[in-house]
Amino acid sequence: MSKNPCAIIGIGQTQHKSRRWDVSLGGLVREAASRALEDARLTWADVDAVVLGKAPDLFEGVMKPELYLTDALGAAGKPMFRVHTAGSVGGTTGIVAAHLVETGIHRTVLAVAYQKQSEGNAQFALGSGKGASLGAGGAFAPYMRSYIHRTGAPLDVGPMVAVKDRQNALKNPYAHLKLADISLEKVKASQMMWDPIRYLESCPSSDGACAVVLTDEAGGLAAAADGRPPAWVLASAVRSEPSSFPGRDAVWSAGAADCAADVYRQAGITRPREQIDCAELYVPFSWYEPMWLEAHHIVGHGEGWKLTERGDTALGGAFPVNMSGGVLSTNPIGASGLLRFAEAALQVRGMAGEHQVDGARVALAQAYGASAQYFSMWLVGSSPDPFA
Amino acid sequence: MAATEPVAIIGWSVSPMERRTDKTEAQLLLDVITDATAHAGISRADVDFTCAGSCDYVAGQAFSFVQNINAIGAWPPKRDSHVEMDGAWALYEAWVRLQLGDLDVALATGSGRSSTADPATIYPMEMDPYYLAPLGADAVSMAALQARVLLDAGLVTERQMATIAARTRRDAVANPHAQVSGEFDVDALLAGEYVRDPLRRHDLPPITDGACAVVLARGEKARELTDRPVWITGFAHVAEAHQPGVRDLRVSTSAARAAKAAGVAEGGPIDVAELQSAFTHEEPVLTAALGLGPEVAINPSGGPLAANPIMATGLVRIAEAARQIRDAGKRRALAHATSGPCLQQNLVCVLEEGR
Amino acid sequence: MTTYVESTVRFPYKRSLGPVIGQFMTGLTEARLLGIRADDRVIVPPVEWDPETGEQLAHEFVEVGPAGTVRSWCWVEKPTTQHPLDRPFAFALIELDGASTGFLHAVDAGRREAMTTGMRVVPRWRTERRGHITDVEAFVPGDQPLPVERAEPAGEPVTMMTYDAEVHYLTPVTENETRVGQAAAEGRFLGLRCPRCARLYVGGKNDCPICAVALTPQDEVDLPQRGTITNYVIITPVQYPGQTETEPFARVHVLLDGVDVVLMFQPVVDLANDDVRPGVRVSAVWTPPDGTGRRALAGWRPTGEPDVDDPALVNRIH
Ligand SMILES: [Zn+2]
Repeated sequence: MSKNPCAIIGIGQTQHKSRRWDVSLGGLVREAASRALEDARLTWADVDAVVLGKAPDLFEGVMKPELYLTDALGAAGKPMFRVHTAGSVGGTTGIVAAHLVETGIHRTVLAVAYQKQSEGNAQFALGSGKGASLGAGGAFAPYMRSYIHRTGAPLDVGPMVAVKDRQNALKNPYAHLKLADISLEKVKASQMMWDPIRYLESCPSSDGACAVVLTDEAGGLAAAADGRPPAWVLASAVRSEPSSFPGRDAVWSAGAADCAADVYRQAGITRPREQIDCAELYVPFSWYEPMWLEAHHIVGHGEGWKLTERGDTALGGAFPVNMSGGVLSTNPIGASGLLRFAEAALQVRGMAGEHQVDGARVALAQAYGASAQYFSMWLVGSSPDPFA
Repeated sequence: MAATEPVAIIGWSVSPMERRTDKTEAQLLLDVITDATAHAGISRADVDFTCAGSCDYVAGQAFSFVQNINAIGAWPPKRDSHVEMDGAWALYEAWVRLQLGDLDVALATGSGRSSTADPATIYPMEMDPYYLAPLGADAVSMAALQARVLLDAGLVTERQMATIAARTRRDAVANPHAQVSGEFDVDALLAGEYVRDPLRRHDLPPITDGACAVVLARGEKARELTDRPVWITGFAHVAEAHQPGVRDLRVSTSAARAAKAAGVAEGGPIDVAELQSAFTHEEPVLTAALGLGPEVAINPSGGPLAANPIMATGLVRIAEAARQIRDAGKRRALAHATSGPCLQQNLVCVLEEGR
Repeated sequence: MTTYVESTVRFPYKRSLGPVIGQFMTGLTEARLLGIRADDRVIVPPVEWDPETGEQLAHEFVEVGPAGTVRSWCWVEKPTTQHPLDRPFAFALIELDGASTGFLHAVDAGRREAMTTGMRVVPRWRTERRGHITDVEAFVPGDQPLPVERAEPAGEPVTMMTYDAEVHYLTPVTENETRVGQAAAEGRFLGLRCPRCARLYVGGKNDCPICAVALTPQDEVDLPQRGTITNYVIITPVQYPGQTETEPFARVHVLLDGVDVVLMFQPVVDLANDDVRPGVRVSAVWTPPDGTGRRALAGWRPTGEPDVDDPALVNRIH
């Protein structure tokens, strides 16, 4: 049995902010979901199932929120499914929704992911309420120091990513951080939070949600016929590996490499750097841009920072990365993965507005979680068979 | 939705069920995964996809499932997922994943140490965060409100509820995993004090620590690995509105819809059902919604009233239903799982003997 | 004998209410109960979307009650700390006059025998109301509204609420964790060697994640107490309930001498944050024996030996 084609015909996201104090939790997810349905020209009744993703329930103090959010997402009388794979969860949300369409189990599925960080405190939640929480930056700083050492990357590369992503965010009307006066000097002058990570090289804490409507081939073709280009899911994959064992390499990790290889194989990609037009990678701390370019074998080990340094990953560059402004500009944790997946789809639909990559036909999206040990990726195309 | 690609249960394991185990969730999972894969005649390395169901608030730690992946042997890295739901939904994701047709073997788990905190202080957190959670609206109270509606409507009597408790406890005697079992006199049960009027102690599930693992295989692979595959012939789940106050608590519309979507009424009679009826009065609500007549054996394992490991209770129902087919000679079984206040969300899995 | 560690997860969550819940909470400050119209029904408490169809509801609010009829109830003999009353009470689904749905709240009836389905109840309002569901302290039996000092319409609409979640946990300390603690009390470091793959882990671990096998006391080995810092992080603490740190603090990764074990995120002793770097030779420092003679690891202190000159050390994080 082979997979059925799956098309993305609707994308919605909230206005992301540090505090969305104008809406309830339900109102937040609803804002994204309504926009996705509107984009898809569908009604709530057209949705056959809902997949909800978010990171730890301790962030908002609502356990199993899919129960309370059933009403907000119009899911009464429908399947409501909740995934949680740490930071990669937004990606997993999209992938599980795609599987429901690809297997023919459902025709149209709504994938929604969110986090309303302002309700709680991220460091508290990451430390489960115990003292001396490392925070996410604390956990990842050693990996970055190792990366810089092993590749000899110039120390400006991290700040360059921080500037580039914030500049992209200025073109994205939904992005949280809008730092119009961002500059290399400003980034380098900002406080060192977790050496080598400075304040301006870190993601913000955001309230936000993202929603994606996925449907079958007929639905995708109908949208296309109506002049609303769909994005086609070309491939998707997940991988997990243990947090720690002697000698574990969490920089160029096996899980990251396997996940990417799986996606490339499914899509028939042999030269990712050439065959993929742009990528949305989960970069909550600046150095993760070159790290993921290498760990996912988009380029060879030690080559990632060169792309960044050359400006290849900028919006007008040869291989744009994080056109949306990325996690560095917007980080509602549970939604951050789906935002990457949605931006990749926007790009191949040609609907990314000011942050559109000209002629993008194939886009990669990635999310990761926990101790850089959970990975989810998908590859989307403007046609179901872009390499034919 | 009826299955489009045949997927079978080929092995399972249910941990000992205890009021308080000294094992962590990861340790419980290590054991049941070892046993379930052995039961299926495979090793961990043969598993192509894993999906776990557990809950951070039950464990008292954010990202609690991350430690649990030590139990699956995720090296080399594995295709793996996690649902913040009962393991029955983890099995659903695994079943979906296998139907893509590129993988053959999947493993689903559910685990929970209910003893870690007082469930009465945890469950209100799954309720509407503005109107219900701040009142401490706990699961037992919500169940009791539904029981009262049924009693007032004449749809169940306290004697029927006690009779259900006595029957499940009697059936549980044969279940080595049961936590509550034995012969109980209905009149004696009815003489007991109310815990939360109209619910008495026997109407409530015990607090249980435990875990469960179930192994799935697809098509030819299932037949190759066992001569007695238990086929999943229908699998669906449906939610309904959250607040109990807006629902008709006399019925379970979502369970009925799930049964229809899973094709329960098609393909011959159901011989046996394992229902996640954690409270006695939920059994008649569910049997009515699922269309199960008096001829159907309900919860021969003793059900959740005999052992109720939260986040695994639903998956245990599927394992016990599979056991009924493979070991007790039944032909067609229904397994049910639920989540949320007053049966808000219901899952139905139809199992059939090997063909 | 198994021991358990107690912990409390507590946090004052701050919730924004949005237009509909906010309207209801604002009404509470005025001692008014509001519902929202949905076709021919009035839903109380008001919701933003039709619970059946998911459609957005127009913001057409209707004052209901204050009296209502109990449609279902249960008796809570032993309230928890989260319950609205600290004495026996009933939870009830109350159909407020003019409403089509059941409103969940407490009924302070004194005794179980006072409760019946179909009974009439009225709200007992708090004097000081802040726009929270517990502004109604409880409902009480009766048909006539209790006298209430009706506040003037709130000057400012209520837009936020707090939710104090508090859960106490009792988590088992596994045998390996107990034994590593006992060894530490004697100033010893335990390690565990996987019986299958021979990888060496720091003590207290319960399994080998590579082999998915349990590690047991039979797998114990003593670990050296000297090593080299390979990598590190200086953490700028963020303040939150439960935070114990106020100043930037270091956590280092230590590769122990002669074995393939890295201890992650270890505290340091007598090593300034500015002096933390890969290559520093360190040894374990134990606290002085406490009243029961037990020690604990205080952290890692520089030995004074020259740094290890191996740039690749920095890659040993795990
Ligand atoms: Zn091993």
